[in-house]
Amino acid sequence: MNLRAQNWHAPGTPAEWFKRICSVLNLAVLSVTCIIVISEFRFDWCERLVGNYLSFTNDTRPENGAIWDAGRHMVNALQSLDQMALARESAGRTVRTADSFSDLAAKLGPGEWATLDKARFRELYLSLPPYRRRNVVDPVRLVWLLNGGVTDRIFCEGRMGGIKIFFIDTQNRVVQQVDLDLQTLGNNGSHAVIPGTLENAPEFFGRIYPASLFFTAISRLPGDMRADLILDTEDLLSEKGLLGRVGVGNSAQDGFIRLGFEFQHLGESRVVEVKAREWAIWQLTLVLRGDG
Amino acid sequence: MGDLAIDPGAEGRRLMRLFSRLVSLVRLLFYTGLLALGIMAAAGCLMIFHISQDLPKLPSPLSRIIETPQSLIYAADGQVLIALGEKTSISLDMVSPDFLNAIVATEDHRFFEHHGVNKLRTVKALYITLFEPGRIEGASTITQQLAKNLFFSFEKTWQRKFKEMLVAFQIEQANTKEQILEAYVNQIHFGAGAQGIERAARMYFDKPAQDLTLAEAALLAGLPKSPTRYNPFRHYDKALARRRVVLNRMVAAGFISADEAAKTDALRPALHDGRKDARTGSYFLDAMIQELVNMYGEDVVYHGGIKVFSTMDSRRQADARTAVMEGMARLDELMGLDKGMGDKPQAALVAIDTASGAVKAMVGGRDYYASEFNRAVNSRRQAGSGFKPFLYYAAFRDRKLHPASVFQDRPVAIPIKGAPDWYPRNFEKRYRGPMILKQALIHSVNSIAAQVVADVGPAAVVDVAQACGVESPLKSVYSVALGTSDVSIMDMAAGFSTLAGLGIYHKPFLFWRVEDARGRVLFEHIVKDRRVLDAATAFQVVDMMQGVVDFGSGRGVRRLGFKRPAAGKTGTTDNYNDAWFTGFTPSLCVSVWTGYDKKKKLKDKNHSGITGGRGAVPIWTDFMIRAMKNEPERDFLMPPDIRYELVGKTTGCLAVPRQNMADKADLPQPVAEDPAGTIRVALKKGQYPCRED
Repeated sequence: MNLRAQNWHAPGTPAEWFKRICSVLNLAVLSVTCIIVISEFRFDWCERLVGNYLSFTNDTRPENGAIWDAGRHMVNALQSLDQMALARESAGRTVRTADSFSDLAAKLGPGEWATLDKARFRELYLSLPPYRRRNVVDPVRLVWLLNGGVTDRIFCEGRMGGIKIFFIDTQNRVVQQVDLDLQTLGNNGSHAVIPGTLENAPEFFGRIYPASLFFTAISRLPGDMRADLILDTEDLLSEKGLLGRVGVGNSAQDGFIRLGFEFQHLGESRVVEVKAREWAIWQLTLVLRGDG
Repeated sequence: MGDLAIDPGAEGRRLMRLFSRLVSLVRLLFYTGLLALGIMAAAGCLMIFHISQDLPKLPSPLSRIIETPQSLIYAADGQVLIALGEKTSISLDMVSPDFLNAIVATEDHRFFEHHGVNKLRTVKALYITLFEPGRIEGASTITQQLAKNLFFSFEKTWQRKFKEMLVAFQIEQANTKEQILEAYVNQIHFGAGAQGIERAARMYFDKPAQDLTLAEAALLAGLPKSPTRYNPFRHYDKALARRRVVLNRMVAAGFISADEAAKTDALRPALHDGRKDARTGSYFLDAMIQELVNMYGEDVVYHGGIKVFSTMDSRRQADARTAVMEGMARLDELMGLDKGMGDKPQAALVAIDTASGAVKAMVGGRDYYASEFNRAVNSRRQAGSGFKPFLYYAAFRDRKLHPASVFQDRPVAIPIKGAPDWYPRNFEKRYRGPMILKQALIHSVNSIAAQVVADVGPAAVVDVAQACGVESPLKSVYSVALGTSDVSIMDMAAGFSTLAGLGIYHKPFLFWRVEDARGRVLFEHIVKDRRVLDAATAFQVVDMMQGVVDFGSGRGVRRLGFKRPAAGKTGTTDNYNDAWFTGFTPSLCVSVWTGYDKKKKLKDKNHSGITGGRGAVPIWTDFMIRAMKNEPERDFLMPPDIRYELVGKTTGCLAVPRQNMADKADLPQPVAEDPAGTIRVALKKGQYPCRED
């Protein structure tokens, strides 16, 4: 027990109590406490202090809460929209820069779409070999669609393995729809080249002729019929090797019959298939059989 | 005796000891309290330090809160229908002082005195919350409310409240009172999709916020407490009662006199009714926004600032709403339902442009503000006899039947494999003997429909309905022909629209184009015609359905004054739970359904069931009369291989020597009470009615 504790005694009278209560220390503590409390109510210094501290640390705090979330939603939205718009612009560029319908079909992904202006469509259409144009749109119908005032816009949409082309009027109504397969669109004829010999294709069975005989027969056809027999010889002229035999297909489609030209090159055989006019082939067959 | 002597100082010492103890106790309490306060202050500091790291950063300036671009939705005529995420921010001097006074008096009358928190009110609220169970007293100041709205969820936790208070301190520290009040009035919700005072003033009163009168301002100031409960469009009287509270607080705060408050209380400001069905208040917009969200996600729709060009025809949409409201009022009267009754039947309407599939109008219920459930697209109900046109098309396509083929209207039992026989009964519970199929559809004869479906098979009916555009799952059972599968109102409108287009299907759609804020096209609807039905066969069914409107269960259309060429079919379920009419002109197909949301009969005052002819036909007719006003009258185009013949209604035999009547397409339909008992039927090449020799 220390000396102070030993010497301490309880106040004996109320006066002594009062004296002790009103000691300097007690009064100071009470006053400070009162000042703190009253000044807080009067001047809000506590709130200001906290407010200042929070303002000071504002930049270090996270951007969370409803208002920042809304901002993030907006940023996400604008990014998504930009992506969509960029995809559209990219599709538009594809349409503008495509060399051909097959190029367009190859580059335009499924679901991607772009508007094709009439002049551009005409350009791509005319770049097709004449006999392939009919597969896209009937030329006479196309004259009406492009020049008859029915088409407002041409809309091009990519799909798996091809493209869809819509001719649309001012009411956004489709007046003509064209489905083009990538396979049938090849402009350079490479898709019509099949490795192997004519015997591999049953459609030529019994109708295979030596090339010399075939071309001699052609030379016996009237000039206008000869010119109209094979619409486009580009694929044949570009083929390397020696032409040995020619097969004539056994079925017609849309007024055309397929011819197979068998080439030999570096010890390998391949067949180039082209379309020929049905009526001219019918005449040619008569000549080949010796009936013409 | 000496032991018993009383010590005169003992009482004094006892009192002194008591006093000493009291003073010690007070001293102990004081210092303990002081210590506790000190500890609390230290803990508070630590807590503030700890929690402040997770507090959200405050944007600077506060006005950044309204920078989200708004997405605009336009009607087909170019009128803006709704701006999504729209926050029109205005400065305080553009707001009526009456509104500012009202909102301050109501929400936080000491706003200009405190520094974020009203301490006395907080202490009082704390006391009430802790010591008066069941009562919760709110004490949020305007600044605290702003902090909550900007950053926090509505979850009620102490931690959230504490954070909210801290952010309020920072808001007060970093902004002037005017800036805080401006941010507050520009972001509070007033219901009906209106965020901010400017939007609210335009939404409810069609005027800018600075022109609000005291009566209007006080009404708006009462809304933020519960925008739904006090929505003036729905609960005008409750909104006025709330306004009374606002006015009283304005008096208490000294903003207005009691006289002024009493005078204002007597005023009933007129609401801008035209906006009631716009914003998300339209079922059409709800359905469209849902579809946009499915396509692009919520962020793009609500925050991307896109422009959407809808198919909605504002005039027809208004006509549809009026037709449904008035039709339902008539139905209430017919059913003897009082205005105050809670459980009332509902209605839905969908109108589709048959040439494109564009949805021109949609009403999903009798009052959007009473129920936002869109019955036009989200509700599936049995269509009843409304499904029979699909059956007859299937029969004409798959069997060598035609509208003049004769069947017996008689009680039938259809054997079903592995189940009891099916005994379909006529709605009218009587049988009429032999009749041609056109008559069977006109009078909606179930026994003949059952015989036909037994012949053609339910799969064929399902196939035709699906080809026409019915997307709801259909059960391949015999009764599907009598409409026992649940379908949506949109399904029926789409399906009949295909018939109206003589077999050309157009998928119904709600918007033509979507653009981003810079005008770049993101989506464009192109109308693709898809032939799904044979035109001539579809025409035969349409001709039969014209008979329904002219002489049959849909003849109310004519009685109510719609005289244009029209076809349709009523539908009523066995127990009168659903009453339908789906009908069309060559250009517009409209389906109307009425019924209770729950399975409950539609009965009139005399307890007779209400059929499609009584429940839905008046709404359909009212809408069509309004919608087709000023439109050129057109007849259904007759395909080249169709001809008309007059045949006996019961025999199906030629009434006059057969002649090709293709060049007499305008041959009038014989009147219903035709004494000769003949009727005009549409027949295809190679179809011949019998001859009475």
